[in-house]
Amino acid sequence: MTAEALRRRSIWQILLFAAGLLVLTVISAGSVYLVNKARDDSKWVLHTIEAENQINALLLEIRRAESAARGYLLTQGEGFKADHEKAVAAIIPALDKLTRLTGDNPAQRKSIDQLSAAIEIRLGQFAQELDFIGQNRPDEAAALVREAASTGTTAEISKVASSMIQEEERLFRLRSVNSDRSQTLAASLTGIGSGLVVLLALISIWLVQRSARARDEAEARLRDAYANLETVVDERTADLREANNEIQRFAYIVSHDLRSPLVNIMGFTSELEELGGDIFRRIGGLTHVPADGPPPAAGEIVLEGPDKQLSADFSEALGFIKSSIGKMDRLISAILNLTREGRREFVPEKIDTRELIEAIVSTLAHQAAEAQAEIHVAPLPDLVSDRLALEQIFSNLIDNAIKYLKSGAPGEIRIRGRTKLGYAIFEISDNGRGIDPKDHQRIFDLFRRAGTQDKPGQGIGLAHVRALVRRLGGTMSVSSELNTGSTFTITLPITWNASNRNADQ
Amino acid sequence: MTQPVTIIMIEDDEGHARLIERNIRRSGVNNEIVSFTNGTDAMMHLFGADGSGLVQKGNALLILLDLNLPDMTGIDILKQIKENKYLKASPVVVLTTTDDSQEIKRCYELGCNVYITKPVNYENFANAIRQLGLFFSVIQVPPAAS
Repeated sequence: MTAEALRRRSIWQILLFAAGLLVLTVISAGSVYLVNKARDDSKWVLHTIEAENQINALLLEIRRAESAARGYLLTQGEGFKADHEKAVAAIIPALDKLTRLTGDNPAQRKSIDQLSAAIEIRLGQFAQELDFIGQNRPDEAAALVREAASTGTTAEISKVASSMIQEEERLFRLRSVNSDRSQTLAASLTGIGSGLVVLLALISIWLVQRSARARDEAEARLRDAYANLETVVDERTADLREANNEIQRFAYIVSHDLRSPLVNIMGFTSELEELGGDIFRRIGGLTHVPADGPPPAAGEIVLEGPDKQLSADFSEALGFIKSSIGKMDRLISAILNLTREGRREFVPEKIDTRELIEAIVSTLAHQAAEAQAEIHVAPLPDLVSDRLALEQIFSNLIDNAIKYLKSGAPGEIRIRGRTKLGYAIFEISDNGRGIDPKDHQRIFDLFRRAGTQDKPGQGIGLAHVRALVRRLGGTMSVSSELNTGSTFTITLPITWNASNRNADQ
Repeated sequence: MTQPVTIIMIEDDEGHARLIERNIRRSGVNNEIVSFTNGTDAMMHLFGADGSGLVQKGNALLILLDLNLPDMTGIDILKQIKENKYLKASPVVVLTTTDDSQEIKRCYELGCNVYITKPVNYENFANAIRQLGLFFSVIQVPPAAS
């Protein structure tokens, strides 16, 4: 999966989350608003009903007052009078309450004004009726009742009241519809919102699952690649070990088999030398006949002129052959020793490095004194490694340092050590003749040397040291300038584990 | 009267064989020397056609053995000699170019009596063989078991 796709996916997820949050907010706000509105609407519906009830209650009180007044007129019973007065007393508060209830509606207010006027007239009539009855003038009171009926005050009241009821009923219908609508709206908003949230959640889950799947696939691929890589590395390592072993065996067999003909060459050259001696002795005996004096002692070759020259050339040729054979034998022995070292199994043990180096220094003390060299050993980190290999490494390097000091100047050789990340780093530095930077690589090659060839040596030491350091799992390098001394740096694992190299031996 | 000892020399390099023989003779040893340049012929001679070694019964043998042979290793021959009831008493001198300590140890473990490395330096080589010759002139060799 590309980084671009990953980025797009994460942006999508953020967008989805934001959308979900937005929808939730909108739904919440809408719901709060709609619920409030529905409550308002219901309040108004209730209010309408209340107003209608109040109108009916008012009408009822007026009817009660009327009928009680009529009862009183007919029977002069004090009970009717009390009833009437109670009803009349209730009319004004009822009217006031109605006025308050319908105060918000201009149309109703007009009706209320009409109603109040009509009621006032009616109340006046009631008072007159009662006065007449009280003065015992029932006929006049009856006439007043009739008049009231004829002038239509009662009818007026009924008409206005019924129009008010109608108005309230119209409002009731309107408000009911409003209220229903608000509630439906609130319900559908909630429904749609919930649906949207669920949808967004589903998309989110799908996205998360898809990325989880993608991640699992990527992980599996990574694991495969890793396993594959390990196999490849193992194979390569095995190949390299095999190749290395083959080279070791090859070098061993070759150097070994080279020796065999060398024995013959050397042997028969020596035989030839002896034969040559015999031949020249005989030639000497034939040509050089002593005229006087004793014959030459047995074994002594007496030659003259060209014969002597021949004998000398013969010896010289054989001498070159023999010295070359000697050199070849030494080289072959060196290769044999190196390959043998390469086949030797390391035995790791705990090593007090300083003690080991002090021991080497004491065995080299004689050479050091001869070269006027001082050897300083600083505190060194201890190792778990192969003792013999370490001895060979350090003794070669210290021996080299003593061997290649500047003649005439007192030598100073320092051995320092430190640790870093599981490795011990050793530095062997001298103030000797130094090595030209162009030879830094060359000095580690077998049979190669650098600088003035005034010291005996085969060019084996450093090649051997580097091979050992590599087998111990370390590295080595040199930093040096001509005439300023050299520093050889060796990096070795503090703990050498046998599993990495010995397994293939 | 003891039987004259026969020296069996198994050496693939004819030059080496010649040098060895010459130096043995120089040390004054005049016993018969039978040379073989490969393992198969030597085995045939030592063990006979049936491979039992019966053919050498009653003969006094001294075996000079090189380890690097073209058709087999000297170690195999040494092992078979030391496992054969007729031949196991015969002294075996391993004379080879190898100076590998493992190989030397192995040979002695298998019952070799003397192990000598051929030095390239001819002085040393000649010396070693002559001393071996002196050794041959004094050594008592039992006849192959009957």
